[in-house]
Amino acid sequence: MKLYLAFGLIIAAVMMLVGLTMRMAQAQWLSIPPDVFYELLTLHGAGMIIALVVCAMGGLWFLMRRRISLSAPLAVAAWALLMLGVAGVVISVVFGHYAGLYTFLYPLPFIGSWPGWATGVFLIGMMLINIGWMIWCFQILGAVLRAYGGLRGALGWNFVWCPKAFAAAGHEPPPPEAFPAVVAGLDGLITGMVAMLLGVALLVRWIDPRVLIDPLWAKNLTYLYMHALANLIIYMLAAFIYVGLSYVTKREYHTSKVFVIAWWSSLVFILTNYFHHLYMDVSSQPQILQYFGELSSYLTAIPVTAVTVFGALMLVWRSRTRWTLGAVFMYSGLIGWVVGGIGAEIDASVPFNLHLHNTLWVPAHFHTYLLGGCLLFVMGWVFLLLESRSEHSTSKLMRSLIFTLSFGGMVVFLLGFYFGGATGVPRRYDTQPLPGPLIAQFATIGVIIMLLGFTLAFFEGLRLRSGFSADRMLWPQNLRDDIS
Amino acid sequence: MGATSKLLLIFLLLAGGVGSVFVVVALSTRQPIEDQTEMHRRGYAVRSKWFLFVTLFLLAAFVATLPFFPYLSRVTAQGPALRVPVIAQQFTFIMPSHLPLKQRIIFEVTSRDVNHNFGIYNSKGELIAQTQAMPDYVNNLEVTFQKSGRYTVRCLEYCGVGHALMEKEFTVGGY
Repeated sequence: MKLYLAFGLIIAAVMMLVGLTMRMAQAQWLSIPPDVFYELLTLHGAGMIIALVVCAMGGLWFLMRRRISLSAPLAVAAWALLMLGVAGVVISVVFGHYAGLYTFLYPLPFIGSWPGWATGVFLIGMMLINIGWMIWCFQILGAVLRAYGGLRGALGWNFVWCPKAFAAAGHEPPPPEAFPAVVAGLDGLITGMVAMLLGVALLVRWIDPRVLIDPLWAKNLTYLYMHALANLIIYMLAAFIYVGLSYVTKREYHTSKVFVIAWWSSLVFILTNYFHHLYMDVSSQPQILQYFGELSSYLTAIPVTAVTVFGALMLVWRSRTRWTLGAVFMYSGLIGWVVGGIGAEIDASVPFNLHLHNTLWVPAHFHTYLLGGCLLFVMGWVFLLLESRSEHSTSKLMRSLIFTLSFGGMVVFLLGFYFGGATGVPRRYDTQPLPGPLIAQFATIGVIIMLLGFTLAFFEGLRLRSGFSADRMLWPQNLRDDIS
Repeated sequence: MGATSKLLLIFLLLAGGVGSVFVVVALSTRQPIEDQTEMHRRGYAVRSKWFLFVTLFLLAAFVATLPFFPYLSRVTAQGPALRVPVIAQQFTFIMPSHLPLKQRIIFEVTSRDVNHNFGIYNSKGELIAQTQAMPDYVNNLEVTFQKSGRYTVRCLEYCGVGHALMEKEFTVGGY
């Protein structure tokens, strides 16, 4: 887990600095040539998604390994492939000046201002990352299915439909964190194979330019993969909530029938929501998919708000919560998840999408749940571990300072995107039309404040790390002691 | 107040509401501890109502938005309208520079190279309509301009390093 978490957090930190550079350029406080700006944007998008996926993979693997058998060498092999892929992406962007973006649409990679080899290296790099991801999915899914009685058992089928016979046989449903694992494994493999199909088609096109690909087919496959991957990050990190919040509130998160059914629906919605990315293909995309896309996007909110988030609030309500820095980060991450979800639902409404599609509203909502949700979950998790193993916690003053700077700066930064989106400022512009630059100036100040908070958190983490003792039990064991 | 400003206001109110709920729940930890069994009993009762509310609200929202979908049926697409071909290519739009006022226009949008987006901004800088411009496909976007003036088309799909420069102005009516 350390390998995954450390790598993920380092990449995330570097990519935040890249993000700051781009926002400063949009604020007209820094002059960057367009080609360099889009290279940075390519790096930032790919880097951030990979960083958070890797953190989620490491965290979920660690949580599941407490309960089932998982091969560490296989996890390291998956990590090595991810690293190799990342190296490919970096070489392609830094030395080949590839600037086709992470979520590129065919045929852009082949009609860009960068050399052909850069496109090839980027595609191969992304495919290696996908192979590493799929190996992890295979591993976690296989282990979960073996441990909990196949797909039927891992999905809690009998627990829901034959509860009496299930209880009479002395069976217990899988723990809450097993459901993110099985959903990530299944959806990750399905969409990973889709990405491989697209990747191979693109590689063939790269080798032989006479080969033509249907752009709408490629667009559907691209968004299916990218959307599912971005979604899976947060669904995987839900496992942190189930275990981490249980620890800080001294309460247990149970697997209930409603909980299981909620995960079944998420399993499906993760695969069907991507249609909202194609709303503006007004005639080319089949209309029925546009209607289905909106309905599916709306229904996604039900399992999240009515089960996971509601369940988390129930854990905290009048509990014995100790508001350590780890607990604060983890709890705040829930706000980012829900608020980002509201922004996403607004954008996923076809009549509103007409005015918001590909404006700054898009990075607004996904930064809210990736930065304000996922990253805070990961930081919360890291601090919970540090606090537990060092048996120390952060002083109230330092906690308030870190929280105020991190969260306050983040809110200013994110509001910049939302205001920009509402005023029609396009996304992915190196030089934005008015009022883009003015908004970017406020947003840049927000980023700097937030990074100041994160820097303080980093040094606080180092301080806690100095009191670390390997002899102390990991906190999940403490959790059990507390509950019992 | 424009449509998107109203959306922003709704979003901010909802986000503020969410934040408030989380603060109230966090502050509840200062109150005497509640047994988890008792909390479950009361919490699940509230959750049932919340589930019903969210589900009905979202289904109602889906039905309410249906009349505003911009997709043309085969019949309406073939109805009387001025058909305006638009070709997008790195990094310009090929289209007329003047269009009529209060006449139904169907923009037939395609691309000559990569994916672009045809986003129409009015003179106030508001994004009033858009569609994708994709090679090998034509997207039909229906617009009836109610105000004369200067309009700007911007590309809203990343299309290469000149993406931000890709725009075209046109006028409507007797401007």
